Amino acid sequence: MYCNRIPDRPDERKRIWDRVDDMARANSLWVTAYGTGCGAIELRPLHTSRFDMERFGIAMRPTPRQADVLIISGYLAVKTLKRVIRVYEQMQDPKYIIALGSCTINGGMYFDSYNTLNILDRYLPVDVYVNGCMPRPEAIIDGFSLLMRKIKDGHADGWKHYRENLDFYRENQKSVISDWDLPDYNW
Amino acid sequence: MKDCLHGMLTESAREWDVVRESDGYLHVMVPEERVLEVILGARGRCGMTVLQLISAVDRMETGAFQLTWIMEGDDDGSVFMVSAFYPREDCTVPTMGDLWPAAVAFERELREMYGIRFPGNPRQDEDFLLEGWKEIPPMRRDFNTLEYSMRTFGERRERKHIDPREYISEMTGEWDTPVPIKDGEE
Repeated sequence: MYCNRIPDRPDERKRIWDRVDDMARANSLWVTAYGTGCGAIELRPLHTSRFDMERFGIAMRPTPRQADVLIISGYLAVKTLKRVIRVYEQMQDPKYIIALGSCTINGGMYFDSYNTLNILDRYLPVDVYVNGCMPRPEAIIDGFSLLMRKIKDGHADGWKHYRENLDFYRENQKSVISDWDLPDYNW
Repeated sequence: MKDCLHGMLTESAREWDVVRESDGYLHVMVPEERVLEVILGARGRCGMTVLQLISAVDRMETGAFQLTWIMEGDDDGSVFMVSAFYPREDCTVPTMGDLWPAAVAFERELREMYGIRFPGNPRQDEDFLLEGWKEIPPMRRDFNTLEYSMRTFGERRERKHIDPREYISEMTGEWDTPVPIKDGEE
């Protein structure tokens, strides 16, 4: 069962209550437990006691409908992009994307691969890029803290950008996914 | 195990070349029309009952695909590899799906990545990794991956190269030139 209706444009009026919301959101980031590539292996130490990301209020959730953050961990293949789009669109607003690794920025070592996307933010709105191949867990925590600062300042609005420019993103997504069989918007 | 394989190869393959042989390991090259007999013999008579992998190499210069079936003995873990050359154009290879169910998946992958046909494989036309692929198979060596990547995914962003010597001199104002190590010194 899908809702095929394209979402409404978000309300641009900033209210005081939004600032309070953003404070709460920044301190409880729930992450979709979905690894797209090699970088997912660097997320495992974050869960456990050495780096312990729960002290920042970051927790893994088993379903996208409960999550705020989607981590694109490492290279993103065309086949995975289709699944990632479904996951991202099922997440509730507001939602944020963290892209890990060089591959998401410019293709990294897979720049000439037949199956790896070179520039991620043509297809999905990325809020924070974490550089490295692979980024260390400390770098990922740094990326999370940057995302928290952006949320508190009200600048982490990739999800609004995605709604407003859905045609642009759809066009790019359909240009690489040749057997497009997703609904118009599947949230 | 080794004696069994040698005897079987002499009977089934008639002419065969040893590529490499060591303790518990035998890699042979056989004519393409003898592949099925050799594999059946190795599996049925010599206890090579586990199929590890079917791999292909594109030998574009000689106009052939080299296919290799890697089998493992069930009792002592010895490895037996059978290779054969198949013509590259319109390549057709007998399926091993009746002997090992796992071969169906390997053959699907080879069909998708190299365009090798396996008549008799019930699932060979299903997509394996690539969905809706329209170009020539990507692991063929005449497929230009860089050109495809630039055409499909766009030009990658420019990379800025930073020379460590200049960067550190700029940051700290000094650069300690490393002393070259002379011969004989650690």
